[in-house]
Amino acid sequence: MSLAIEDLNVWIKEKLFDAVPMGIAVIDHDFNLVRANRAFEQMFGQWQGRKCYRVYKSREDMCPQCKGAEAFQDGIPRVNEEVGYNKNGIFTRYIKHTMPIVDSSGDIPYLLEMCTDITETDQIRREHQLLFDQVPCNILLIDRDFRIVKTNAKLKQMLGELEGGYCFRGLKGLDSRCRECTARQTFEDGQLHTGHHVWKIKDGRTVHLHVITVPLRLHDGSFDMVMEMAVDVTETIRLQSGLNFAHTFLETLIATSMDGIIAVDDQANISVFNSAARQLFGFKADQRIVLDDIMNLLPKGISDLTDFPSRDLYLPETSIQTTGGQERPVRLVGNKLMMEEESLGMALSIQDLSEIKKLQNEKLEAERLAVVGQTVAGLAHGIKNLTTALEGGMYMLNTGLRKSNLGRVEKGIDMLSRNIERIGIFVKAFLGFSRGRVIKAALSKPEEISKEVVNMYASRAKSHGIIMRHERTGDLELAPIDYESMLECLTNLVGNAIDACIVSDSNSNLHVTVRSFEEDNVIIYEVADNGCGMDYEVKKKVFTNFFTTKGLGGSGLGLLMTKKIIQEHGGRIEYESEAGQGTVFRIRLPRNRLPQPPDDTETVAATAGG
Amino acid sequence: MPKNIMIIDDEEDIRTYLMAVLEDNGFQTCTPAQEENVMHALQREQPDLVLLDIMMPRRSGISIFRDLRNTAQIEHVPVALISGIEKATGFFNGEIGALPDGTDLRPPDGFIEKPIRIEQLLEVVEKILETKGDTRELSD
Repeated sequence: MSLAIEDLNVWIKEKLFDAVPMGIAVIDHDFNLVRANRAFEQMFGQWQGRKCYRVYKSREDMCPQCKGAEAFQDGIPRVNEEVGYNKNGIFTRYIKHTMPIVDSSGDIPYLLEMCTDITETDQIRREHQLLFDQVPCNILLIDRDFRIVKTNAKLKQMLGELEGGYCFRGLKGLDSRCRECTARQTFEDGQLHTGHHVWKIKDGRTVHLHVITVPLRLHDGSFDMVMEMAVDVTETIRLQSGLNFAHTFLETLIATSMDGIIAVDDQANISVFNSAARQLFGFKADQRIVLDDIMNLLPKGISDLTDFPSRDLYLPETSIQTTGGQERPVRLVGNKLMMEEESLGMALSIQDLSEIKKLQNEKLEAERLAVVGQTVAGLAHGIKNLTTALEGGMYMLNTGLRKSNLGRVEKGIDMLSRNIERIGIFVKAFLGFSRGRVIKAALSKPEEISKEVVNMYASRAKSHGIIMRHERTGDLELAPIDYESMLECLTNLVGNAIDACIVSDSNSNLHVTVRSFEEDNVIIYEVADNGCGMDYEVKKKVFTNFFTTKGLGGSGLGLLMTKKIIQEHGGRIEYESEAGQGTVFRIRLPRNRLPQPPDDTETVAATAGG
Repeated sequence: MPKNIMIIDDEEDIRTYLMAVLEDNGFQTCTPAQEENVMHALQREQPDLVLLDIMMPRRSGISIFRDLRNTAQIEHVPVALISGIEKATGFFNGEIGALPDGTDLRPPDGFIEKPIRIEQLLEVVEKILETKGDTRELSD
């Protein structure tokens, strides 16, 4: 035996005990610790003369199920996982190998106990388990038979116990393997694979999952299991498709909108310019457009789209320029785009009014033509009356001459000249009506118009013994009205009222009252008389072309003209009349329907009034 | 004894014309006095025929016609309406029939369209008065 071996034997005999990295202790029958190595002392501290339960577990008496006692009894070595307290009183988990030491007589005087501290290992194992169960994704282990070996708690929650069953059955309710199998791909090439899977879960819902499969390799690199991690993306997909839908919907809406839609971001880049907008301005379909291209085509006053002064912009009737230099009537609505407090730019919606304007003009033209038709019929009627009177004059003249009746001749000439004059008046009224007129609204004082009419008729009324009154309730605010046209309306009404008084059966207490007042933002003119009033037949024809009850004295156009003017002011005319009692005509002009005054509005009441 | 014809028309020139023509042809004429109630004038005069203009300022001819037909003493008086409105489209057919209380009224006896031709006027007048005369002779 060489010296070295001898030395080794000595070393083993004397030093090995203390050199072993696991704690080793020897206990006797009375559970006294009789020997322990350094590692043991490092784990559990002072041991000399102490009972094992005292050292391992800080107990005062023996453990209820003492493995040591069993080993003394049966002489069988055993391994247990134990918990106790280390020398610092810290909870410790350790694996204990218990080995009975048998003497030559076969007795067991001692037990050798070897302890390995696994506190940390166990902690790590627990952490892993926690991670495995609680990570917000479903995890399962699949073997090469496609049976589920293990699932995490999250997956159990969703699908129940699946361990031992086939993955395709447990996850998808299928009877055979899936055609596209991510796990199989990983089994085949040992690589990571991803896929989109659809599972059927307990309540019958389907869920969409993003799946990753990785091989669970052993140390030698081989593997018989694949770990599948599946993240539920159902909600994401739902949101995504919702977003997709909303996006497509908006895109389509913008692209197919009849209105031009333009969006400018806060960096003054044009982000939307739909085809309607291109057509409106006359840009080519593929032409790149920058903000500068359109700034001077937009209505005046829109100078900076990125820093627009007010939140919103509404121009109901304005115009843009086309690239060809034409003016185009449009309605323009602008909205500042805001997210929380942050400006995202400006969106403009531009509605082409050309067609509407054209239709409006066509409608006006059609109405005018209809009026011309009525006019011709009415004209014929008027001419018939005049012709009758002229024929009467001729008859008187001829028969007077024949009979040498000078009185008759004079009467005939009178009739002829009077009715020829009436023809003149009639033709003038007719032409005036057929020409029509353009309403020129300017800010006027509403009550000035009624005042002027009353002044105009004062002397005529007085000469017939009619009392003329103007009633007003305070000053009305200025309103965009065509002064001359409204004056004509009131002139017609007051003239009619005076005529009604003149032909009235009653001769006393006749009066015509003109009122101007405002009610709920409606300007109201009233012309009331207590003259002859109108009966059923007359009322029915009040606003009919060329209807007149004044024989040859009226053109039959006054009220029709009046109605037309009032309609052009967005208002209406109504009346109440009782035969023999009198008549009230009422013009109602809602302020919000009055025509737009031109930009350079001047108060005409100041000059025209009074 | 010439037949008495009342002319109800607000227009003096036409009144003058009609009266001259009718008088030249042997009829007697009358007209309600200025401001006189037409119904009173009718009841006072009891004319053999009324020529009634439809469109007048105070009362329309239709309204007078309806009252006349509804007043016992003058209900029988024949009436010829005068108007520039075409027969087929105007008051005569369309509107008298449409009057709620006018549906049972005996229609006008004649219709004279403006412009008035003397022959037509006389023809209508004579026809009405002859018919009237016949019935009177039969009933007497």
